[in-house]
Amino acid sequence: MSGHDNLAGLTDRWYLDDSTWSKVRNALLFVALIGWIGCGAGLALDPDRFYKSYLVGFAYATFTCLGGLFFLQVMYLTGSAWSVTVRRIVEHLVAAIPACAVLFIPVVLGIHHLYEWSHVEEVSKDPILSQKSGFLNVEGFIIRGVVFFAIWSFIAWKITSQSLAQDKDQSIAHMDTASRWSAPGLVFTFLTVSLAAFDWLMSLAPHWYSTIFGLYIFAGGGWTFISTMMIICQLFRKNGILAKSITVEHYHDLGKWMFATTAFWSYIAFSQYMLIWYANLPEETIWYKIRWEGGWEVLSYLLIVGHFFFPFLVLLARGSKRNLGLMFGMAFWVLFIQYIDLYFVIMPNFYKSPAPHWLDLFGWLAPVGTVGVVFWSRFRGKALVPVGDLRLEQALGHQNI
Amino acid sequence: MATTATLPQINKPLAQELNPSLVEGNLSYHEVTEQVCEIVEGAVHRNWYIGFAISFSIFLMMVGMLGYQLFTGVGVWGNNAPVAWAWDITNFVFWIGIGHAGTLISAVLFLFRQKWRTSINRAAEAMTLFAVACAAIYPVMHTGRPWRTYWLFPVPNLDLNMWQNFRSPLMWDVFAISTYGSVSAVFWYMGLIPDLATLRDRAAVAGKHTRAMILGVFSLGWRFSARHWTNYEKMYLLLAAISTPLVLSVHSIVSFDFATSVIPGWHTTIFPPYFVAGAVFSGFAMVQTLLLVTRWALGLENLITSKHLDNMNKIILATGMIVGYAYATEFFIAWYSANQYERFVFFNRAFGPYWWAYALMVSCNVLSPQIFWVKSLRTNVIVTFIMSIFVNIGMWFERFVIIASSLHRDFMPSSWGYFQPSYVDICTFIGTFGFFMTLFLLFLRFIPCIALSEVKGAMAAQAHLPGHEPVKGTTPVHAGGHH
Repeated sequence: MSGHDNLAGLTDRWYLDDSTWSKVRNALLFVALIGWIGCGAGLALDPDRFYKSYLVGFAYATFTCLGGLFFLQVMYLTGSAWSVTVRRIVEHLVAAIPACAVLFIPVVLGIHHLYEWSHVEEVSKDPILSQKSGFLNVEGFIIRGVVFFAIWSFIAWKITSQSLAQDKDQSIAHMDTASRWSAPGLVFTFLTVSLAAFDWLMSLAPHWYSTIFGLYIFAGGGWTFISTMMIICQLFRKNGILAKSITVEHYHDLGKWMFATTAFWSYIAFSQYMLIWYANLPEETIWYKIRWEGGWEVLSYLLIVGHFFFPFLVLLARGSKRNLGLMFGMAFWVLFIQYIDLYFVIMPNFYKSPAPHWLDLFGWLAPVGTVGVVFWSRFRGKALVPVGDLRLEQALGHQNI
Repeated sequence: MATTATLPQINKPLAQELNPSLVEGNLSYHEVTEQVCEIVEGAVHRNWYIGFAISFSIFLMMVGMLGYQLFTGVGVWGNNAPVAWAWDITNFVFWIGIGHAGTLISAVLFLFRQKWRTSINRAAEAMTLFAVACAAIYPVMHTGRPWRTYWLFPVPNLDLNMWQNFRSPLMWDVFAISTYGSVSAVFWYMGLIPDLATLRDRAAVAGKHTRAMILGVFSLGWRFSARHWTNYEKMYLLLAAISTPLVLSVHSIVSFDFATSVIPGWHTTIFPPYFVAGAVFSGFAMVQTLLLVTRWALGLENLITSKHLDNMNKIILATGMIVGYAYATEFFIAWYSANQYERFVFFNRAFGPYWWAYALMVSCNVLSPQIFWVKSLRTNVIVTFIMSIFVNIGMWFERFVIIASSLHRDFMPSSWGYFQPSYVDICTFIGTFGFFMTLFLLFLRFIPCIALSEVKGAMAAQAHLPGHEPVKGTTPVHAGGHH
């Protein structure tokens, strides 16, 4: 069909002004700085607590970016058109993965505070942990971490660089190359993300194991990723950026993904819980038992209601997914409750009762702020939408029918 | 920096690359109708009778075997301690799994706006219903007294004097599968209504009044009015949304049959999503097997194109990898758990007496689908056909491996055993294929095997995409405008 002049998105400016860019950059830098200052103070005052709070924030930021990597690859593999309008934002978020590698350093430094299996003395006294020491050991943990980040960064670079190159020459070859990298990329992403979840989070309770755990963590990352997208797009809109390019139709589709990831997380979480509860084997139920006493049960209930029932029922209706204000609020709720989920996974391993600490805030702010700075710095001088993508016209005129 | 945007220009070859045509040969709507209706209106081909005679004979063998089992007892099967659950549950899970492609194609791919699904959804959904029918045979017959099957349902009874055990995953299966079967049937029939009305009108024009009347009853007064279409589209979307969780729930609950136990090799938390992926994997393989033969026999190559093979093989590759991911995770965690029973079961699975079944499963499900990384192999009919058979075999063996290899070496070595099927097991299983094929052949003869109205809808949507031509025989409505 010829003639695309009546696409409203074409009247948008597809580049940021330098002043807007630097204003936001400065704000994000400030946030990250505050986070790191708080972390620094925490490291001096209470290093043990710092590492624990920081791990929650690190996992939060990293798995959110990895959720973006999943999304980006799936969009290329399925030849999705609607998502082209928002894809540049995803690319920039994914490009922050190398920064997460730097964020991993404090986790390595705090390894003896976090992981029981890192104490060789204790492991030698524990017959179960001794058998696992071929995998759960300090060298292996670091090497694997480096390999994970190398793989993710490589895939992310391969895909995002194709999209940026396409801005200039509008060649379909870049789209094909990105798709070709996405297929093996997705395979490696799944394998490494699962192993990372086992390494960083499951091994906090080193006697415990669950085969579905990798999917559980990845599902949460996908959820926060898509909600982050919802918030960024809407903040753009409120400031007149891409306001006509990203239409209610795109928000509707983002909302569908929020709904889908809500349901998927709940499915995975329920499967894990139900099977462990039903079989009632002490070595497995212990993980839930400690989360069911000493005040942690409040978080358990909160997750059932806030991580499943509430978002599920709200997002179910078509009308809510097309209600921008509601979706904006819901996305913030998701970001909050997913923090609770990671807190629920990590903290009961250390504390018999929930004891909120000021470092929880800074431990979250520092990694998330850092990712924010890296993410935002990528916007400078680049188009806000993939202007060379051949599906852009179709994406701008996208309608849910 | 640029302030006024210029979009990339889409010429015809690019448009084809971005959104390949869903039907080949530049067909008009009328030509699609003619081609598909001809199959059910024209004379019956000799090969159909041959195929039907063979399938029906195999089906009769199954009936004979079930009769023998009924009058003699479940002991005619090979099941025995320690493998008390063997081919019956293997075949049950196998057939339930086959059905999943139909629901995925009709519901999930609909929600994902995958328009290519329209050429294959009708046949795939039919396979779902037939596969559920095949699967249902096993639990019903395993009860030993099929006339008491109603005891499975929580209906008031005086002859049992017991209330059903709602804590049993087998009970959940009853609900999951009966819901699945009934929703799939409604969805399938819903989609059929406009096509049945087309057949009705064609029969009326041709002066075949009895045929028109029968079809008229089944098309529920469909008149192709705009109002009918609006309601239909809404209903379709709702049913797709209702069916989508069923794709996940049915096989998840089937996996609970095993995973809620404490048997090493059965009890593992990844079972639900792993079973779902495996079901979709095997279902697509069966769709490929049957549709490749169907499209060749009925000359439907222009409607079920190499693009369809390509897409389905990509799904086979993806789901095969998910299954491989689950195998790997299970193995890794069995080692990681440092639980000697877990470790033993998985070592025994790969290197014990059933090593051959395990090797067959891994090579068919994980290794051989890797050839689908190559596009020319994904679109090759012969390769696809052979691979689809491989996957069918591999997925049957997956269930057998899970079930038999986890059971055959009990906790006490004195109760170790080795399961061997009896001839009744084998003939009953082969017989279910006869049953399945008999139903499928009847479907091909009496019902349009391609969803006419949906294919046409997809053609119309395609014509509106940038760079695409209007459908042959139509004039563009808004020249230069945009929808």
